[in-house]
Amino acid sequence: MSYTLRGRVESRLASAVPALVVALALQRWWAIELVALMIVLGLVLDAAIYHRALAYQPGWLAVPLGALELGLVYGGIHVLGIMAPLRWAVALYAIAWLAAQLAGHAIFPRLRIGYAEDGGELGRFGAITAVAVCVTLVGGLGAARAVRPPTIHLHGTVQGPLVIRHAQTLVGGVVTGGILIRASHVTLRDVTVVGGENGIDIAHATHVMLENVRVVRASMDAIHVRDAGVMIDGCSIADPGGPWVQGVDISYSMGRPMSMVSGCTIAGVREGIVTHSAAVDVSRNRVLGATLRGIVLGEMSMDTATHNEIVGANGVGILCLDHSTCTIEHNTIAGTRVAPGGDLSRAGVAIEAHYFAQAQIAHNTVVASPGGIKAFDQSTILR
Amino acid sequence: MSRGDERCAIVGSGLAALAGYAALRRGGVRPEEIVVFGTHDDPTEVWRTRAASIRQRRLRSESDGHLAAAAFPGLAVREALRRGTPAPLIASVANRYHPSVDAFVAHANALRARSGWEQSFRAQRIARIAPVAGGFELGGGTFAHVLVATGHPGLAKPPEFAGAVHAYEPHDYASRVAIVGAGMAAATEWLNALAAGSEVVSIRRREPLRRPLNVPRPFFSKRGLAAFHATPPERRAATLRELSTPSYPAGAAWDAPLDAAMADGRFRVVRLTSDASQTPQACEQVICATGFNQGWEQDPLLADLVERAGVATHAGWVALASDSTVPDLTDGARTLSLSGVAGQWAFPAADTIAGAKYAAHGFLRRACRTR
Repeated sequence: MSYTLRGRVESRLASAVPALVVALALQRWWAIELVALMIVLGLVLDAAIYHRALAYQPGWLAVPLGALELGLVYGGIHVLGIMAPLRWAVALYAIAWLAAQLAGHAIFPRLRIGYAEDGGELGRFGAITAVAVCVTLVGGLGAARAVRPPTIHLHGTVQGPLVIRHAQTLVGGVVTGGILIRASHVTLRDVTVVGGENGIDIAHATHVMLENVRVVRASMDAIHVRDAGVMIDGCSIADPGGPWVQGVDISYSMGRPMSMVSGCTIAGVREGIVTHSAAVDVSRNRVLGATLRGIVLGEMSMDTATHNEIVGANGVGILCLDHSTCTIEHNTIAGTRVAPGGDLSRAGVAIEAHYFAQAQIAHNTVVASPGGIKAFDQSTILR
Repeated sequence: MSRGDERCAIVGSGLAALAGYAALRRGGVRPEEIVVFGTHDDPTEVWRTRAASIRQRRLRSESDGHLAAAAFPGLAVREALRRGTPAPLIASVANRYHPSVDAFVAHANALRARSGWEQSFRAQRIARIAPVAGGFELGGGTFAHVLVATGHPGLAKPPEFAGAVHAYEPHDYASRVAIVGAGMAAATEWLNALAAGSEVVSIRRREPLRRPLNVPRPFFSKRGLAAFHATPPERRAATLRELSTPSYPAGAAWDAPLDAAMADGRFRVVRLTSDASQTPQACEQVICATGFNQGWEQDPLLADLVERAGVATHAGWVALASDSTVPDLTDGARTLSLSGVAGQWAFPAADTIAGAKYAAHGFLRRACRTR
């Protein structure tokens, strides 16, 4: 197709409608910001490069150009600090790209008989759609900016405990004595917490994000979540302040949006990640040397544990417990130790279902864990 | 059919006419509002005969080279669905899909059947289009909008080969064949004759260009056309002359058999000069793959129109507006459009299916505007 510049712009804006609709349906500011970023980057490329370099654009070029734009969008997300979960961001980009291909190769040529002759121009429909998309985006971005929580940069060490009762973004710094989060739409980014009964205590809140937080010397739980929906990404938990410390404990949050724990490294605690009556996606974490169990998905939880690495847990690597329904896939469990006392359910079991629990397992790697994979007390393991 | 309803006429009954008819139908013009004047009720007949004569199996056109009004679904999509394989789509994305003649004819027949063509067709040759107030008189009626789609004005043969068979006429191959020309038809004939076991002498005035389509792709859209339409007449005529240089696609499918035959001494090239004695006398058969006559003077209908109505021309081309209409005979109430090769002044690739559709779309816009 030989696009005119106007044709490129109109086609791009009109074919962005599905992605914009999805972004609006998600009701997340990052989604609107991401679609805006995709469109602005695309328009800049259209005007500055594509229009000049591509007098004719063969169909196959959509693939390398799509990859190039994906890379630029990914970079833009980081530069602009758009808080988009990677998986969702890629999914939204894929929707936008597929919609553009479908529109450019099927929908527009079907609806407008002169589409190719007109170089991708869409006439009055194109102009109206372009204006509508731009107005929606500008309105969305304006609203996002207007309601965006304030960002507070911490410098040096702050004496805690810090109690957060309003939506805000806290960036950097060291807080001693713990942080209590009692409001929704709170983000902690690159914050180090030293000490406290619970390092970070979150209750009765949603849309709480912990990005690259580091918790050391907590005396109960490093991250303690009750009745809340949280996204924890890239946390680091080490140097527990006592023998009973748990890494991440998300409990009694079934009525809240699903939580996520990913990319964390947890070392030397009693239990690495624990859930009770919650829906949590536990993925790509490393739990090292847990003195009781590596990961516990317990008490009627509906959880998934995927791509985690549990090394040197004492007794059990991953436990699906007490009427929970668990999906346990692509994990690596190594060196699970046999706990003293002769209890078979703690005899170095890599993956265990216990007490009416149901675990669906696949593609896990078990190394040097003498208990293997086992079910106890009327539990089932489905392979 | 009520004669009072007829307001659109299509002169000609070939592929360009069917493309124009399909566009009108897509635009909501009813069959009873259209009359197609022609000599063949099967719009593929003339083209099919020519394609069969040169043993053409695949079109040079790509997936969009079909006659339906909307570009989607193209022929690649239809073939993929029919065969249950994505291969045609993948080939199409890489501009390597070329529909088979059989698939194209089947598509044209299906389009003809569902479009209402039979209802509008009238077997009548039109010798004159007479402009009158608010329209044109032709075929015993008056029409507000007329699309002329009469096709190429005859097969071209160099005078020195007047007795030769033309590539587009049915023929077989002798053991020693001279093929005059260097375009797509000539290249096809080289391979045909070699495949038939003949020894081939290629007679040409110039070396052929190798390009995928006979016109660069930007000329198929507003991007290239805007600049083309903005050029002064002399420059535009020069561009059209340059684009009419013989060409055929690059690729091993063409080169490998020729290289092999050349190595075996079964294929050689002779440059045609003004001296006819240079022509190899030992050839038993001469085939002219020299295309078609060119220029409005060669088309009696257009020649009459130009002469009687004073339509502006330039160097063999009727000077058209950018939407393929004749400016002198088109206004708010009536339209005269030229489709096919006669429309090159508006669309350089007018003798392709894309060209026929371009003229049809311009015609439809005007016909619908005055409903």
